[in-house]
Amino acid sequence: MTSVVWVVTGLLFAAGLAMVVLRRQLLAMLLGVELMLAAVNVALVHHAGLFSDAQAMAAVAIVIAIAAAEAVVGLSLILRVLRAGRGVDAGGLSELRG
Amino acid sequence: MIGIAIPLAAKLLFLAPVAAILFGFFVMRPLKPEWTHWPILLSCAIVTASSFYLAARVLGLYGITGGSFDKDVLHWAAAGKWAVDFGLRVDGPGVAVLTMVSLVGSLIHVYAAAYMKGDPGFSRFFLVFHLFFLAMIGLLTANNYVQLYLFWELVGVASYLLIGFWFHKESARKAALKAFMTNRVGDFGFMLALFFILSTFNISHFNVIYVKLALTQQQGGIPVLLPTIGALLIWAACAKSAQFPLYFWLPDAMEGPTPTSALMHAATMVTAGVFLLVRSWPLISAVPSLPPVVAGIGAFTAIFSAIIAATKKDLKRILAYSTVSHLGIMMLALGLNHVALAIFHLVVHGFFKAVLFLCAGNVGHAIHKPTANVDEVGGWRKALPWTYACFLIAALSLSGVYPFGGFFSKDAIMDVAWENGGLIRCASVLISFGSAFYIFRMFFLTFHGDRPEQQGLKAHPHEAGAEFVAPIFLIALGAAAIGFAAPYVQELVLAGWRGLPTSVASISGVLNLAGSPTIPELGWRDLFGRSGLMAALGFGSAYYLTMVDASWDWRWRRNHPRLEAFFESDFLWKTFVGLIADFTGAFAGFCGRVLDKCWWDGAIEGSAGAAHGASEALAGYSAGRLNDYLWWMAAGAALLLGAVLR
Amino acid sequence: MTLIAVVLAGAVAAGFAGVMLFSRSLYVSAVCLLVVLLQTGLIFLLRGAALLGFLQVMVYAGAVMVLVVITIMATGGEPQEGFSRFADFSFPRWLAVSGLIAAACEVALTMYLGGASTAPVAPADPSMAAGFSTALFSSYALATEAVTLLMFLAALAVLPDKEAA
Repeated sequence: MTSVVWVVTGLLFAAGLAMVVLRRQLLAMLLGVELMLAAVNVALVHHAGLFSDAQAMAAVAIVIAIAAAEAVVGLSLILRVLRAGRGVDAGGLSELRG
Repeated sequence: MIGIAIPLAAKLLFLAPVAAILFGFFVMRPLKPEWTHWPILLSCAIVTASSFYLAARVLGLYGITGGSFDKDVLHWAAAGKWAVDFGLRVDGPGVAVLTMVSLVGSLIHVYAAAYMKGDPGFSRFFLVFHLFFLAMIGLLTANNYVQLYLFWELVGVASYLLIGFWFHKESARKAALKAFMTNRVGDFGFMLALFFILSTFNISHFNVIYVKLALTQQQGGIPVLLPTIGALLIWAACAKSAQFPLYFWLPDAMEGPTPTSALMHAATMVTAGVFLLVRSWPLISAVPSLPPVVAGIGAFTAIFSAIIAATKKDLKRILAYSTVSHLGIMMLALGLNHVALAIFHLVVHGFFKAVLFLCAGNVGHAIHKPTANVDEVGGWRKALPWTYACFLIAALSLSGVYPFGGFFSKDAIMDVAWENGGLIRCASVLISFGSAFYIFRMFFLTFHGDRPEQQGLKAHPHEAGAEFVAPIFLIALGAAAIGFAAPYVQELVLAGWRGLPTSVASISGVLNLAGSPTIPELGWRDLFGRSGLMAALGFGSAYYLTMVDASWDWRWRRNHPRLEAFFESDFLWKTFVGLIADFTGAFAGFCGRVLDKCWWDGAIEGSAGAAHGASEALAGYSAGRLNDYLWWMAAGAALLLGAVLR
Repeated sequence: MTLIAVVLAGAVAAGFAGVMLFSRSLYVSAVCLLVVLLQTGLIFLLRGAALLGFLQVMVYAGAVMVLVVITIMATGGEPQEGFSRFADFSFPRWLAVSGLIAAACEVALTMYLGGASTAPVAPADPSMAAGFSTALFSSYALATEAVTLLMFLAALAVLPDKEAA
């Protein structure tokens, strides 16, 4: 079971990492980040159950909340970038401007 | 040795020339160049007087005490346990040569004042000439090898400047460069020898080296590097004293003005090589195989250049080859371990060769040319009587005829060589014959007879003024009388040190050269001996081939042009040297063009290009591309994680 | 039993994650992520953390993904002509991909060799929920408050600002 969980976590995390590193659009990168966080949560929940650690579960809840907040912030940044007329393409964002 | 005060005469030896040169350069040359020679002539007089005083002091004559001395004056560029020291060594051999150099040199200075009058470079000539004089004094009184090397090089520089004096002539420039380059080849050997000496003895001062060597010899054996040192010093002497492999610069050096040829390339500079060997004789004679090499080189050179001298047409070139020949004779004497005899011949040769050169200068002056060709002169004995008389005296001295100087020195050398046996014995016979032959050939062609091939009598020459003739006459008197100075020279060379501490004197076999043989004494009866016979034979053949069969000298040239070319190239030696020079030049060109410009500069510029390329390649990593950064973050994090989890 | 369910859920999640990675349209990617999140919620449930599963679905799959989809609509998620999904790197792309794969394999290998925990699976403990709540509001109380504040501030981020002059 544990190994299954690790495999699932690994695959999901790798997929999320690949999304972040390889994709061009900023939104796709954001999706990848979310995926990474979810993957980690899977492993954490499993091990919390394994060791009967309630505080670990609390940590998972915190992570979910923070991930949500960070997604919101990220989305608003992307909107700002779009409104500044620089496109949502990571390729065009090679300089700090505006 | 430390507490000895330097006598005033020794100080004047240096101070007078330096003062004269500085005064001449900074005061006379800008203001009144045609008077540059006056302070210089004064300095010459002072130097001559000082050198005779020092000679008397070394011999202990006239109640002058003090004897020889060797004292460090200046301690310069100290590095660890040794330094470049300037010191004065006034001892027998040095002062013997010094008196000749100063006397003959001063008289040549007087001659030069007349000869060079009207030349636009008059002032420059005298300053460089006197600089040479100073350098020669420094060389003769050096007390360590480094100082000797320094003055050796300085003499070479002065030679270069004077040979190329008329620098607008291409032949003069080339000759000056050839002289300097050839001497450089020899100087390289000297430099290597110097390094070996320093590494073997840890010091370059003569007196210390002699003592160290004697001690080593007492314990049996010699230092390992000594044969190498000896060979290199002989090589250096071969270059400076124009012996066989490296003699070819001397005939071309006749491009310089006649006073230069007379002083440097006859009497003084070229004897520096012999002098170096004399100073190094304790080292060289300690290696049993080296003195025969010296003798062999000397004998071969003597014969070789005597033959070539007999085939030349330019007066000064004949004399140049004659100088080479006589230097060979000096080397021969040295190689047979007769050090005193070698120095004696050096002194005598200085006198008569200077006379011969100055007479040739007079002959050239009469036809308003720097030098004369035998085709342009002939039968001038009535037109130039004084020159004729001086030349005759010097020629008789050179051939070794009784009362004149050469008889006592050259014939003594020939006798010693005869006793040596073997090839040297044959060589001595040939040399006696050859030297008489070439000098009297020159004598007859220039001053006697009117041959159809010569245009001499049409030129209406006249004797030059007293200021030309007087110095020559005085030197000629010296050439005549110097033979009777043999005992003084012998005493100077062999007596060694006076006042030496006995502990050092006890190992003095090497130190004092006291084991070296004395100068053989010759009397008037020996005139009819072997050497006299050969000289007479030479005289007779020269007379026959120039006066009786008058056109022989021209006929063989016309009938055998290839033979003449063969002689002209010094039995093809000059061709061989030319090939070496061409090869070296091509190699230098290769190094410059290909190695330096293409490869080395290319590598340096290529490194700039490589750096540029590398920076351009790496610039991509800082371009601000988000995905790149993310990738590197992911990779780094993975590595860290791997390290942490392990 | 749960093992098979977890495996199934994991497989579905991984599959949809792959689709998400390679899809050309952002809408498709968003929906695929939604599915993945639902699966992870299911896994939480299967592992006995019912509340967390509920939270995951409600917060993530519900609120966050909606926002994401709205933003995609605002920025235009349909691919235009000549549009490339993947970014350009200063080194070849195959190198980037293989580098990532290598990194993942290296970590996996390290964990495998280092020994992932092989403790036997224990059944879910129902009393954990109570413990969890207690922890959330006692030990982690400060953290909970901070997160609440953060979410509030995040809401401010979406306030419209004046149009750039």
